[in-house]
Amino acid sequence: MLKFIAKRLAQMAFLFFLFLSIVFFLLQAQPGDISSQFINPTIPAEVQQQILGRLGLDGSIWNQWWNYVSNFFTGNLGVSFSQFPEPVIDVIGERIPRTLFLFTFATLLSYIMGFTLGKRVAWKRGGFNEYSVTIGGVLLYTVFYPWFGILMILLFASTLGWFPISGFLTPEFWRNAPFTGNQVFGQLLLSVAIAGIIVVLGLIVAHRAQERSTTRLVRRGSYILSVLFLAGFWFLRSEMRPYAWDILHHTILPVVTLALVAFAGTMLLTRSSMLETLKEDYILTARAKGVPDSDIRDRHAARNALLPVVTSFILGLAFIIGGGVVTETIFSWPGMGALLLNATVIEDVPLATGALGFIGILALMAHLLVDVLYNVLDPRVRVQAGR
Amino acid sequence: MVIKDQESAELLEQDLESVPAVELHEGDALPESLWKVRWRLGWAAFKKNWKLFAENKIGLIGLFLILLFALMALAFPVFRAIGPWQNDAVYDPIIGYDAVVQELEVVPTEADVVDPATQINAANAQLWCFGSLPGDTCEIPRAPAPPNSDHWLGTDPLGRDVASQLTYSTRAAFFLGAVAAIVTVVVATTVGSMAAFYGGWLDNFLMRLADLVLLMPLIPILIVVSGMFTVTMPMLGIMIGILSGFGGTAIVLKSQALSVKVKPFIDAARVSGGSNVHLILKHVIPNVLPLSFLYMMFTVTEAVSLEATLSFFGLIEAPMTWGIMLSTAQTQGYLRSGLEFWWLLIPAGLAVSLLAAGFFFAGRAMDEVINPRLRAQ
Amino acid sequence: MTDTRLDTAEGSSGTPVSNGEVPILEVNNLVMNYEMKSGMVSAVEGVSFKVPRGKSLGLVGESGCGKTSVALTLMQLTASNARILDGEIKLDGENLLDLSDEEMRKRRWNDVSMVFQGAMNSWNPVYTVGEQIRETMDIHWDPKPTSAQARAKIEELFNLVGINPEMIDRYPHEFSGGMKQRAVIAMALACDPKLIIADEPTTALDVIVQEQILEELRKIQDELGMSIIYISHDIAVIAEITNLIGVMYAGKIVELGPTADIFANPRHPYAWLILSSTPSVTGPRRVLAPLEGEPPNLLDPPSGCRFHPRCPFATQKCVDEEPPLADIGPGHAVACWHHEQVPVTLAKVEA
Repeated sequence: MLKFIAKRLAQMAFLFFLFLSIVFFLLQAQPGDISSQFINPTIPAEVQQQILGRLGLDGSIWNQWWNYVSNFFTGNLGVSFSQFPEPVIDVIGERIPRTLFLFTFATLLSYIMGFTLGKRVAWKRGGFNEYSVTIGGVLLYTVFYPWFGILMILLFASTLGWFPISGFLTPEFWRNAPFTGNQVFGQLLLSVAIAGIIVVLGLIVAHRAQERSTTRLVRRGSYILSVLFLAGFWFLRSEMRPYAWDILHHTILPVVTLALVAFAGTMLLTRSSMLETLKEDYILTARAKGVPDSDIRDRHAARNALLPVVTSFILGLAFIIGGGVVTETIFSWPGMGALLLNATVIEDVPLATGALGFIGILALMAHLLVDVLYNVLDPRVRVQAGR
Repeated sequence: MVIKDQESAELLEQDLESVPAVELHEGDALPESLWKVRWRLGWAAFKKNWKLFAENKIGLIGLFLILLFALMALAFPVFRAIGPWQNDAVYDPIIGYDAVVQELEVVPTEADVVDPATQINAANAQLWCFGSLPGDTCEIPRAPAPPNSDHWLGTDPLGRDVASQLTYSTRAAFFLGAVAAIVTVVVATTVGSMAAFYGGWLDNFLMRLADLVLLMPLIPILIVVSGMFTVTMPMLGIMIGILSGFGGTAIVLKSQALSVKVKPFIDAARVSGGSNVHLILKHVIPNVLPLSFLYMMFTVTEAVSLEATLSFFGLIEAPMTWGIMLSTAQTQGYLRSGLEFWWLLIPAGLAVSLLAAGFFFAGRAMDEVINPRLRAQ
Repeated sequence: MTDTRLDTAEGSSGTPVSNGEVPILEVNNLVMNYEMKSGMVSAVEGVSFKVPRGKSLGLVGESGCGKTSVALTLMQLTASNARILDGEIKLDGENLLDLSDEEMRKRRWNDVSMVFQGAMNSWNPVYTVGEQIRETMDIHWDPKPTSAQARAKIEELFNLVGINPEMIDRYPHEFSGGMKQRAVIAMALACDPKLIIADEPTTALDVIVQEQILEELRKIQDELGMSIIYISHDIAVIAEITNLIGVMYAGKIVELGPTADIFANPRHPYAWLILSSTPSVTGPRRVLAPLEGEPPNLLDPPSGCRFHPRCPFATQKCVDEEPPLADIGPGHAVACWHHEQVPVTLAKVEA
């Protein structure tokens, strides 16, 4: 397994290298060369030269290319125009955790919704339900996303008032707060991450257990433990709690909106994958064995139908990341996606390309995760030694 | 003629039976011209495919939506030339201006305004009707104006007729979709065929590239690119086409090309001296075309959505598209107040969504017609 | 080649003269149709037979004659468009058709299990073979087995069918075709059922493995005293391991009786034609009588006797009236108006 991951990482690194090179040559394709775009022309000349030297963008084109790419790998992304003299990496660094939070939850939510709905709809074939869920899902998938976001805001925030209209937090509320937004968010992220790790560890241990009942016990135990942990964590931080809730409150609507648009892809695929799987002989065998319907659907059919869904998840990720950029902009939620768009509009080239690079990294990492997951799920792929 | 499966083979048999058997000698002309035979076979295959397609309601809905929009696209030049918008500069989607006038009664002070739809206080009235006094009627141009008999969908914040904007943008959308789709198919077929036929390092490289393209989210890339360059509609179409073409579609078409490559008639063609290029053009492409056509549908869906999103953020250089319509309304704040300015909010967004949905539905229905047979092979 | 374990004291009605036991399976007048857009397909039409305890029955016939449909109906595993219009299926005296879905589910595998055609695909690729066998025990054993108990049982079963117990924790794709088939048989025994239905258990296998599997099945029958229903189109296989044979044609049983009797003395034209289509290596040379034509369309089956379009002995009576399955000897029943003619013709040919 480790060898597999290492090999994949190397492949990812290569792909990223390719990606950066393409970005570099795109920058070069514009009038003037990269050094004139990458360095803010409005700053004094001596400073320009300094930065140019540091970035190594003052040589031949091949020199520049090599320096540009290797700079990225060492974290040297240039200096932002708009937030001069903040280095790009710092500006992005601040935003990444937030975007990760958004993407992860939206992905999980859309996946759970999509898979569960797809599984159930395929099991109870035909009827009004299947038709309407399918059409509803597709309509959500193809709907014009910014427009849909606006509608969601109008409905849930403006009209019903359940959620705030935009932003990361409520400024007035935080006026004299003893914490910064980033601090609180960091704590939120930490608590959720630890809870998540508890669950994952629990699942791994549960998988190893011999007895069916032990497996179930450990699995349920890990869920309960993580919830208890979250409760305890936040119980202890009574002062921070209202601020944390404020941030959370602002995050719910963007996450749900993104998940709604993304789930249909998973649902449709799960449905067709299930339909294919249900035709298999081992399903008939399971019925013959007297396995209860819900177990046939979940343990036999869905488990196999899962495999192509996981593979196609890779495509879905690109969709979610793109959707995430739009979501952040519509909801004025200050993540990396919003950063990308804003930087582009104000022509802050280093910032925009840096953000783009990071989005590329995100996509590749997610791809790696999915690959590993697939490896775990499909024993036929797994067993070959030295993979 | 592509024989895809048992059913087509039977159809072929049936049709051939209707051709009278004749003894042919060298140098004879065929009893029935070849193109007629091809036409008849093609038509029979089409009818059969249509039946399969129509069984699925979803496909019909998709087709209906596409036709609806096609009509809308036609509506624009027709209405401009011979219809209600004939020669009326007011109805120009980009530079037209029609101040829909509202008559309001002038009242002394703010406190006296009981119904803002029909009354205005004297101070504000001075802006439009200088020198008016309480009791006078002041005509105030309203933009955006709600739908009325002249403007079926009202006017936008700049006084332009929304309906004409909507229909004009339909043409832009179809145009973009067509460009993107064609470029995708050309690129994907070329890449797929080359990878299949030449194999080796070219195959490897192209597939790595395809992996990369698949992974990368299109929107951020297009955002940055449109920031760096001025992107017009044709350019956008080509870019989307290339990016999609190198991705998943290329992979699918490559495996399709591979399955053609191993067929015996390819060996036969090679033996009689066909070069790779000739083989690709004459044999692979016709076999791969139905699948390509299918992917064109999904490319149009994607292109329409992408373009609308990009122009919503003001990144596209185009005279008028649905995205721009929404963008104008949004930046001037008319979308914040709920459904009050619904004619600015609903039609454009609905148009994008429905056209994209239409192509998607049609694509999925086509998928069921074309793909199962491919899987059976 | 022929079965020597004849028990001529039994009738086709199954109940041994000497023993008043209830047959393990009694099917009476089973009628099952498939509902299609174009009409009702008469897949199983009035099928009746009895399987005595510890004995095995073979169902033989062409593809589409209804033998698999009978098997599926026995286990109530038919497709959603199947309609059981009449009849009884009595497993050890209990009519399965009277049971609710849940009750039937409990009987499945526990009382009657099945070995499907093409065992390769009977296995779910994402779970180990051991887990899948264990599943049956978790569902049906009362009380549920502990890990140790389950493992012990599976090992015992694997030893019975001749698979290395190490393979218990392996995935199906690590098994060879023959091993998979044997593992399916092991799984079928996991809950000690009263009856096993084996649908073409050896069709997809090569001859050598086929022999091994048949050996296993014979062993199970002998050592465990289990009743087995074999379904096959291959009469050679059926001949080897069954006590009784039911010949099916177009959804009906046309001849039913002890294996040796039917082989020596086929009385139904169809049975006779099938048997004469297999040349005997050791027997006298004869003219092979070919079976012409195709099986009938069950949407619109032929009137009267369903075999009449292809039968060399058919008369107008065969077109008008359907012959009932009638006893013509000890335990031997035939559904034909002209069954007396059949052995005569055979003798003529041999002369």
